[in-house]
Amino acid sequence: MPQPIDPLTLAHFQMTAAILFVMGVIGFLTRRNLIIMFLCTEMMFQGIALSLLAFSRFHLNHTGQTFVIFLLSIAAAEAALALALVVLLFRRKRTLDAQAWTQLSG
Amino acid sequence: MIQSSGNTALPMQYALYIASAFGALALFMMMPRQGYNPRKIGALIGAMTLGALWLCLAEYLPDTLGIERAAFAYYYIFSFLAIACATRVITHTQPVHAALWFVMMVIASVGIFLILDAEFIAFATLIIYGGAILVTYLFVIMLASETSDAQAPQHTPIYDRIAYEPVAAVAAGFFLLAVLLTAIFTPLPSNPDAHSPSDSQIIASTLTNRAARRLAQQAEFDEIANLPTALADNRSLDNTEHVGLDLFRSHPLGLELTGVILLVSLVGAVVIAKLRVEPDTAEPAPA
Amino acid sequence: MTLHTASWIPWLPALAAVLCGLCCIYRPLRILAAPICILSILAAFVITCCTYSNIVDTDPHATAHVVKLFTWISVAGFSADMAYYLDPLTMIMLIVVTGVGTLVAIYAAGYMAGDRGYARFFAAVSLFIFAMTTLVMADNLLLLYLGWEGVGLCSYLLIGFYYQKPSAVAAAKKAFIVNRIGDLGFALGIMLTYQQFGTIQYAPLFEILNTQSPSTASTAVQVIPFLLMLGAFGKSAQLPLYVWLPDAMEGPTPVSALIHAATMVTAGVYMIARLFPLFELSPYALPTVACVGAATALFAGTIALCQYDIKRIYAYSTISQLGYMFLGLGVLSTTGAMFHLFTHAFFKALLFLTAGSVMHSLAGQLDLRHMSGMRRKMPVTCWLMFAGCLALAGFPFTAGFYSKDTILADTLAKGLNEHNRLYILLAVVGLVTAFLTAFYTFRLWFRVFMGPTKYDMGDEHAHAHAAQEAHPPGHSDITVEHHHDAHEVNWLMNAPLVVLATGALLAGYLAHNWLPELVLNSSATPAHLGAQHAAEHQTTLFGIDLHLAMMIISSGIAVLGIATAAYYHWLNRPAADRVAAQWPSLVRILANKYYVDEFNNRVIVEPLRLLGYLCFVFDRLVIDGIVNLVGFIPSLFGLAIRPTQRGNLQGYGLGMATGTAVLVLIVLVAYA
Repeated sequence: MPQPIDPLTLAHFQMTAAILFVMGVIGFLTRRNLIIMFLCTEMMFQGIALSLLAFSRFHLNHTGQTFVIFLLSIAAAEAALALALVVLLFRRKRTLDAQAWTQLSG
Repeated sequence: MIQSSGNTALPMQYALYIASAFGALALFMMMPRQGYNPRKIGALIGAMTLGALWLCLAEYLPDTLGIERAAFAYYYIFSFLAIACATRVITHTQPVHAALWFVMMVIASVGIFLILDAEFIAFATLIIYGGAILVTYLFVIMLASETSDAQAPQHTPIYDRIAYEPVAAVAAGFFLLAVLLTAIFTPLPSNPDAHSPSDSQIIASTLTNRAARRLAQQAEFDEIANLPTALADNRSLDNTEHVGLDLFRSHPLGLELTGVILLVSLVGAVVIAKLRVEPDTAEPAPA
Repeated sequence: MTLHTASWIPWLPALAAVLCGLCCIYRPLRILAAPICILSILAAFVITCCTYSNIVDTDPHATAHVVKLFTWISVAGFSADMAYYLDPLTMIMLIVVTGVGTLVAIYAAGYMAGDRGYARFFAAVSLFIFAMTTLVMADNLLLLYLGWEGVGLCSYLLIGFYYQKPSAVAAAKKAFIVNRIGDLGFALGIMLTYQQFGTIQYAPLFEILNTQSPSTASTAVQVIPFLLMLGAFGKSAQLPLYVWLPDAMEGPTPVSALIHAATMVTAGVYMIARLFPLFELSPYALPTVACVGAATALFAGTIALCQYDIKRIYAYSTISQLGYMFLGLGVLSTTGAMFHLFTHAFFKALLFLTAGSVMHSLAGQLDLRHMSGMRRKMPVTCWLMFAGCLALAGFPFTAGFYSKDTILADTLAKGLNEHNRLYILLAVVGLVTAFLTAFYTFRLWFRVFMGPTKYDMGDEHAHAHAAQEAHPPGHSDITVEHHHDAHEVNWLMNAPLVVLATGALLAGYLAHNWLPELVLNSSATPAHLGAQHAAEHQTTLFGIDLHLAMMIISSGIAVLGIATAAYYHWLNRPAADRVAAQWPSLVRILANKYYVDEFNNRVIVEPLRLLGYLCFVFDRLVIDGIVNLVGFIPSLFGLAIRPTQRGNLQGYGLGMATGTAVLVLIVLVAYA
């Protein structure tokens, strides 16, 4: 049975997770390609998975790892649906530009 | 030292904020835009910022990390790789390249997973993300690309070549990062009550015939291999067994619901794919 | 046959109304509407007669019977049942309503033939009979009010029957609104009754009233009759609420005959007779009724002198005769009032229907100046109307003679007994009105039927056409072939008129002993009648019995009136014009109905319009302004927030990221 890790060690892993998450956020905000935007959400997922695993290791509790399994399934489901929708939108306007879809403006 | 300091702000937090600011600057410089692109300088600033931050933090590292020092050295390598690849994902103008950099990012973060003793998740992530999902993404990128000659930068669509409002996005993102880092570096002690039960407890309570079964298997194997018979099995549970036990013992409902969600998304994807959509000719695509 | 069968009387016409309504929807069934309506009213009449024999014949001093159908409203201490109060007074009214109703419905089956709204007409008539019978049979004031409003509604529907005509629509609205004024008083009276006595059912109410006298009654109780009176004046077209009735002649003529002459307008008389004990509690209520009645009688009689529209003359005549009835009520002669109501229903329905025949034959022509000598063209109608005119004029031994005489004699007797000059004056007014009545009635008759035959057709050729088409070929024994000319109406229409004419001539003689006895067995009995009766028999005028004296006087007046009319409007028509030329201003005032409509327009309608306009402006500027301001403030907020909702995915993401960061910051600061 491994030892619990030091809080500062945990903080290092969390920092990496946070950076990955924020990179995902920034990518989502700056990229206009719908597919890359969804890729960036996957990157956010990756950061969250890392955070969960670090906590799992920190608390020596495997539920964190179980949650990552759920997260992977949801990410897979989301990717399937999102990409299907993206293909649909592309067929409609022949473009992947997120700015082309602003009909919902009030 | 850290435990005693409690919730008060640490001196390293100023280093965190400064690093956030420099990181924001670096990322902003790396963003694709028209005209002059100081991408290399940005990359340099970013790498230096990250290195300087780690050096600062290393001052505070205690003797007992909880993991081996050698493994922690790998943390720096994989972490740097993951962050660098993530940066490329969001700054590269070619969607296909971005997807490939994403695979690299996944591989690097899987390395970190391994440091965290999560072997099962690490390889599952590698297979699912680096394999299945990314292949799907690449398929869709190729299916939905506008130009036949995707490699030529001048034919890349404008929405891939120019970042959308990089200043606001980077500022908001690094503001979020700074806030998150403040929370992260205000650490709390590990809660012993949260620890999973020990292996011997699990074996005693749940896996009562595990030892006998393993012994029988071992004997069969030994007979074939012509090895001397082992007398007893006192191996601890491995990571896969832990995750599996946790998943099936503690979260059966979640498991079932996940199955339902996957089925629903499968059906949904099929339905959406079968929808007939005519191109919107009334409004030409702005690009 | 039990008394419970009586509860079918209102509900058969109600069923007929529903069936006729269905006939309206499904056009091929339209022709069934008239038979359904006639049969239902006839059945109601038959049931009425059976019930009458059940109540009255078996027990001459019958008291009231209450037939409860179901509990209508029952709320803590207040109850109003769907129950019917059967006493001789109710029976008289029922006989009038269903009897005249049947005859008018048969006439209307011929009169309305070919009209586009044939089924609609009979649906409304059936509904009216339902409401009217409910009104007269009601066991409590609320049910009475239900019937009261029901007949008002049917009146509205039928006055506005030709809804394409703007004047008909205006008349319908006028009738409805004027009645609202009266009904407001009536409703307040009912509420005050409940508040004062704790019940609105007749039987308990009369028991309480029997224990009270004018000296013990509280002021609130003494106010009730005046409120109820307002309702009666509105419904029965008395001063000052009479203005709607002349205009109500816009409706089809059978409606004028049934609703606006024979039945509905007498509802006010019935109501006061029914609640007579209540009216006796106030020392001023009945004199007021008498004065208003006499004033209305004279007022409407003078207006009728100078009108040229046949139906309007009869309308003013109806107002005048209703005035007689109120005069009768006011001098405690409920028998006289109800008697006059009974006879008036016959001869006024007859007069209206014969006027309708003339109008039918002349394609809608109603103007006296455009017709003359019609007796050669329409002999049957001529003599039918003559019978009606005789009755209305009070010619000796016709129906009107007996009933009018009873009222006038009772008025004079009351004046002489009490040495009250007011009642003597009222009796004189009544006599003057009797002269006027005889004069204008025969002015009309002589103008229309006597003298050289000369007439102009009206403008309702379509109506004449349609009527012609509707007549089956074998049935047109009298109808002329060339339908553009004046012609006698067919016997489907004349047969009911013959019955009515018989009634107009003989009803007075037949009923002058029978009917007063019935009335005296009901709640309409004046409390101290015994004393009055005793005094009356001793009263003499010029040495002979008062009744006999009054008979002689009024016969003389009637004959004088007829003779005057004969001279001026048959034998020497230019003389009438010469007389008119001598008082041009008087004639103008009378022809313009004393300018009452104009006065009402100036003093009531226009200020109300102005008030309405002011309210409209206030509503637009202030109320709408506030509402719009309330609506504008959120839209201002929306204007501020709208840029965040541009439908821009990245914009939303930015907001989310920033928001998350701020939230985490808040948590951090809060828990630091």
